[in-house]
Amino acid sequence: MEQFEQLLTCCVCLDRYRIPKLLPCQHSFCMEPCMEGLVDYVRRQVKCPECRAEHRIPYNGVQAFPTNVTLQRFLELHIEITGELPDPTSGQIMERCSVCSEKSYLSYCAHCEKKICEDCKSAHMDILRREITRFNSQIRRSLHRLQDTLAIIEKNSVSLQTNCVGVTEEIDEICRRITKAIKDRTDQLRGEVDRYLTIEMRNLTTLRENLDHEIQNISSNCDIVDKYMNETVEWDDCELMDTKEIFLKTVEFLRHFEYENTDYTRRVRFLVSIDPNQLVLNLASFGDLNIAPHSQPSGSVSSSHLAPPSGLQPGLMRSKSDHRLATQFRQQEERVGYNDEPVLGGRKFGERPVRANNDRYGDGNSRYGRGTDYDYENEYDNDQTPSRPGKSSRFRSRFVRSHQNDDSDSEQQQAQRQQELEKKKDRVLSGEDVSRGQLSGIIRLSDCARVIQRLADIGKEKKEKKSDTAAQAAVQAAIQAQKASMQRPKQGAQRQVSEDDEISRIKRQNKNAPGGTATQATAANTTAQTTESERPAADRVAALKRTGVPQGTSEESDSSNHASPVRRTPPPRAESKAPVSAQVAAVKKTTRSGSSDSTASTESSTSSAAAAAPSSTRARESPARSRATPASSAVTANSNSTPTTEKKPFVSRFLPQHSSAAASNEKKKAESESSSEEETSSEESEDEVDTKSKSTAATSSSLAAKSQVGSSALSSSGAGSSSGASSYRERLEARRNSRDDASSRPSSSYATPSSSGTSGYGSSSRQRTVPAPHHAHDSDDRYGSGSAASGSSYTSRFLNKSKSSAIVSQPSLSTPTASFDEDANGTGDDSDSRYGTGRSRYLAMKERRSRLARSRSSHALGNEDDDLDEPVSPTTASPSAYLASRYSGYGGTDLARSRSSHALKSRDNSPITDRSTASARSAIVTAAGSSTSAAADSKDGEALSSWARYLKNKYGNKSAKDTPSSSSSGASAAPSSSHSHGAGVGGSSSSGSSASRSHASDVSRRLSLGLPLRQANELGSSDDDGSKNGLGSPTSPTVAAAAAGITGVAGTSLRDLYLRKRQQLFQLGGRGSEPGSFTWPRGVAVGPDNSFVVADSSNHRIQVFDSNGIFVKSFGDFGCREGEFDCLAGVAINRIGQYIIADRYNHRIQVLDPQGRFLRAFGSQGITDGKFNYPWGIATDSLGFIYVCDKENHRVQVFQSDGTFVGKFGQLGPLEGELEHPHYIAVSNTNRVIVSDSNNHRIQIFDVNGKVLKTIGSEGSDDGQLKFPRGIAVDDQGYIVIADAGNNRIQIYSPDGTFLKAFGSWGSGRSEFKGLEGVGIMSNGNILVCDRENHRVQVF
Amino acid sequence: MSSLPRRIIKETQRLMQEPVPGINAIPDENNARYFHVIVTGPNDSPFEGGVFKLELFLPEDYPMSAPKVRFITKIYHPNIDRLGRICLDVLKDKWSPALQIRTILLSIQALLSAPNPDDPLANDVAELWKVNEAEAIKNAREWTQKYAVED
Repeated sequence: MEQFEQLLTCCVCLDRYRIPKLLPCQHSFCMEPCMEGLVDYVRRQVKCPECRAEHRIPYNGVQAFPTNVTLQRFLELHIEITGELPDPTSGQIMERCSVCSEKSYLSYCAHCEKKICEDCKSAHMDILRREITRFNSQIRRSLHRLQDTLAIIEKNSVSLQTNCVGVTEEIDEICRRITKAIKDRTDQLRGEVDRYLTIEMRNLTTLRENLDHEIQNISSNCDIVDKYMNETVEWDDCELMDTKEIFLKTVEFLRHFEYENTDYTRRVRFLVSIDPNQLVLNLASFGDLNIAPHSQPSGSVSSSHLAPPSGLQPGLMRSKSDHRLATQFRQQEERVGYNDEPVLGGRKFGERPVRANNDRYGDGNSRYGRGTDYDYENEYDNDQTPSRPGKSSRFRSRFVRSHQNDDSDSEQQQAQRQQELEKKKDRVLSGEDVSRGQLSGIIRLSDCARVIQRLADIGKEKKEKKSDTAAQAAVQAAIQAQKASMQRPKQGAQRQVSEDDEISRIKRQNKNAPGGTATQATAANTTAQTTESERPAADRVAALKRTGVPQGTSEESDSSNHASPVRRTPPPRAESKAPVSAQVAAVKKTTRSGSSDSTASTESSTSSAAAAAPSSTRARESPARSRATPASSAVTANSNSTPTTEKKPFVSRFLPQHSSAAASNEKKKAESESSSEEETSSEESEDEVDTKSKSTAATSSSLAAKSQVGSSALSSSGAGSSSGASSYRERLEARRNSRDDASSRPSSSYATPSSSGTSGYGSSSRQRTVPAPHHAHDSDDRYGSGSAASGSSYTSRFLNKSKSSAIVSQPSLSTPTASFDEDANGTGDDSDSRYGTGRSRYLAMKERRSRLARSRSSHALGNEDDDLDEPVSPTTASPSAYLASRYSGYGGTDLARSRSSHALKSRDNSPITDRSTASARSAIVTAAGSSTSAAADSKDGEALSSWARYLKNKYGNKSAKDTPSSSSSGASAAPSSSHSHGAGVGGSSSSGSSASRSHASDVSRRLSLGLPLRQANELGSSDDDGSKNGLGSPTSPTVAAAAAGITGVAGTSLRDLYLRKRQQLFQLGGRGSEPGSFTWPRGVAVGPDNSFVVADSSNHRIQVFDSNGIFVKSFGDFGCREGEFDCLAGVAINRIGQYIIADRYNHRIQVLDPQGRFLRAFGSQGITDGKFNYPWGIATDSLGFIYVCDKENHRVQVFQSDGTFVGKFGQLGPLEGELEHPHYIAVSNTNRVIVSDSNNHRIQIFDVNGKVLKTIGSEGSDDGQLKFPRGIAVDDQGYIVIADAGNNRIQIYSPDGTFLKAFGSWGSGRSEFKGLEGVGIMSNGNILVCDRENHRVQVF
Repeated sequence: MSSLPRRIIKETQRLMQEPVPGINAIPDENNARYFHVIVTGPNDSPFEGGVFKLELFLPEDYPMSAPKVRFITKIYHPNIDRLGRICLDVLKDKWSPALQIRTILLSIQALLSAPNPDDPLANDVAELWKVNEAEAIKNAREWTQKYAVED
């Protein structure tokens, strides 16, 4: 056997043969690397290692030697016999490693997504391990936040309880009072009636008695007369006369007697001053619960606390080591926002679809948002079959969860949800999902089968070693636990059977929780009732969508996954939905409204009916319904809306698959039906598409109505209320349409809000959702959500133009615009997700646009529409807007400016100019919104265009002061801020002229009214420039003027200028590898023309920006050849514009010409003269000498411009003239060499010969003290700017070395730093600061 | 520093597990390509009883190029110069990737038993070896006693 082994072993590599090649001498060797290594390329020969025979290499190289098939068979046989695992690399061909370029067997590295060799891979794994460790400590450090939150939640739950108890008591109190009032009143009324009765009765009795008496008298009289008034009795004349008189009187009396026979049945009436129904109504709604909305979309206690700090998050998201990833990451972020992604992109832990050998587990952890888009799509399709139960909780996105928590109104509900969650957890089938964090989607590692396996292996090994430690016990315990949990899936099936029971139980609980249900219903009520409440709701929903939908495509699939168990058994859905308040429901509705409304269009009518049936019954049980309220219609609408929601996911998933042809048929049918129900809409609309959709929607409502108990009106109003948010927008849009079209369609837009309450909105909302069914054939309902998402910005953008309510539009406008800026600035999760919106919006817009083009191609309105669509479309003819948004306004607004200024002159000409004007203007509004509104938070600020930021920084306060009246409304404030630079400049020179101020406000008014600014410009030629540039960009001449103004000031007192430094003017960059982004920028240098270069260290390139921070060019790549860099650090520009770069890891200095071409390089690693050990900072003087901080050699070396060594000074030590890790260097024009002696926490100033002139600073954080100073720069008057990295601040020293000013602090906000690197001073006194960990350059 | 090729690992393992009699090669703690080698003088040779220290270094492209071997212990041998450099064909042009550390060391051991004064490196030694072999052998013994025998 030994021999056999030996025969199968290549004598060169001493390994099993891999593709044994047979030489003519009959000796065999592996093809790679053995045979390859044997080749004598010069002589094209291969020398047999065994017999030294020399063979010519075939033309095709060594692979052309015949493979020793026999040997190979033996190898296979051997493998079969011994059962030994084949070499993992067998059968593979060697390739060049993508990292080290060495030829080797490659495997896929999950870290960098490249095929790399084992060495590099293990290095990467090391990196990952280190990173994980780092993250671990980070997490450990910040874990307390969760615990704090826990405590807060505890507190909150207690306070919520007390709150609710208090409210209940109040309600009881009110109830008591009202009851008492009613009772008192009742008693009083009753007493009055009694009193009246007695009095009247007495009167009547008296009357009766009198009458009786009369009757008796008269009767007796009559009798007497009858009897005795005849001849038999003698009467004298007097007597007869008296009798006659009496009788006359009697006759008289009888004739005149009349009894007022009034209607005693209605003598007393109970009059109610108020309509009793009304009263009851009032009583029934005698109180509303005002549930304070959370201030921000994700503002629930838990989520806001859990939201990772923006600084931490990117770190967690990305492994810092692989800068190349940044690009890919960004692309992914484009597709899918981070927030709602499941950890590991929905994968199982440690599994990777692409990987051939996925034997490692440690790598999956550092990369969160990978390949999810793909996954989503797939899963979306796959999930048509409900065969993936494990996914049910996968999409517990933080966002969604937080919202559900957000809107929880009562303790009971929360508790109940908690129960649900627990149940859900239990129900989860997959072992890994068992412990998935409901907020973050983080799974417990110890629940992952692979981890368990790993740990088990370790455990086994340990056992073998007989080292029985506590850790092992813990591991074992974990394994046991895991095993137990792995068995749970089996129980899960049983559980699911009993799901319905649970649900009913939960429902019972719901019923038993009157407070909660009441409040919830009230919340629903408020949403449904008035437009006024819808308005904020719309905004809010828009905002929600911006963050919630952002993953655009994912949202739907999200829900589909989320709901996968739901589909099988609708009830669970209801159960989870029911407690969610109407706002969230509204969000969902709007996002899905497209699909929901298309319910009617196809066969789904039946399915919807089916869906509606259980849902309606459920709804009846659900709290909303069970609450018995006299205001029945409203309630019905609400409860109707609940089933509608529940229906939606259902339909949305199925509907898109129906063919559009069928849909259109149905639509036509529906049209006729709808005309009866909604005459207004179908009559008026000349847009066929809209009509159809509307009518189909109507059908849907009617169907829904049929399936439910309510009337069609109710259901439609339900739909209306449900999609009220979007409908509002739609209404605005419709209004615009009607305005533009001249043929007004008020009915569809205003849609009889008076007649059927919310039905008007219902109809318009249906119209709104047209895109979804219409495009269902080529897409899934993602478009629905996308377009819904687009709605806000769409209309708001429009609104900005519209003459009415720019104010309303403003807030929603500013953020969507900002969302595009994400690329440049941001790692904040909000902006990330916003980006997603942008994209989906773009898709939706595109769709919508095509639709519009189709439906009314002949309309002049097209322009307007294009105009509106354009700004988000990167592919269309207006790249400026896109660029503007994408690059934070830098490169883009440059274009925009040129266009927009043009547009101002010829505004009415072409749609293109119009477009850019619009975009430019919207940019301004954005700017203004943030610059004036106090509410504009830093996030917004970051997202704003740099121009906006610039304005905000510089003049924001002033402009606010100047136009206090307009400062409240962002839109109207817009022009004022665009003007405010004029005012600001004026202010800085002397004082703001009232004329310009009034003009500013005038313009602001105009702009807010949507009037073309041209007139405004014409108003005053002095301000003409200003307003135009206001529309333009940061590159505008005004900036230059402003800058000039500053320089002018600087000329008089640079010192004052520096003293004023505090607030960032603008910033550029953001993590990434695309132009204008950085990955750990280090050195920065300012050229003679005030352009500046940034050493984009981990992108291994130099980026050049012009004086306004606009990206000009970049050059360099990773490598060690000419013009390539490896983590370059310092950079300098000499007098003739050459770039001198400290190529740090290549231990050399490179000189590039102004075009970026390689000129020369000098130096290599070493400690002798002219050699470097991690050269860092670099500087040149006026004579062209190059000063290099030779960091690890603790010295400064001086070279001639051609690279000849001139001298050196400094050595390791703390004494004067000694250096320890000098980082950066600067040379003043008085030839003072200023070195940041980093580890000695001081700055040393040398003369050119290395003699110490001065030492500045000592270790500490007080003013004038330093901690690990890094970047250093000196201006032409000798002021020194020091990046005090350890204190995360910038310090400015006067030429004599006295402290002048310090500003900045740790953080990632504006004017905050994380890891300072190089600094630079422009000739106008602006200070450039490389903010390494924030991957940006800030300008002060 | 790239990791060690499998071949070196295998060879090292085998050297440890199945040591060649009279040869002991131990990789350096810090550099697995550097071996501390001890070769005992072969019997029936003037170097008998001597314990010769050598150093062996595997270059980067090993096994495509020969290892670098040098005597550290002074030795009186016509093919080994005063610096310890060895004149051995398999270490030079006759190197073949099929050879291994152990084979090389065996070759060196063999070289000790069979000096080849016709292909000298230490000319004076070779001269003496040719002219007066007995004298040369005596010298070799003395050197061995002097330098290679540890008490």
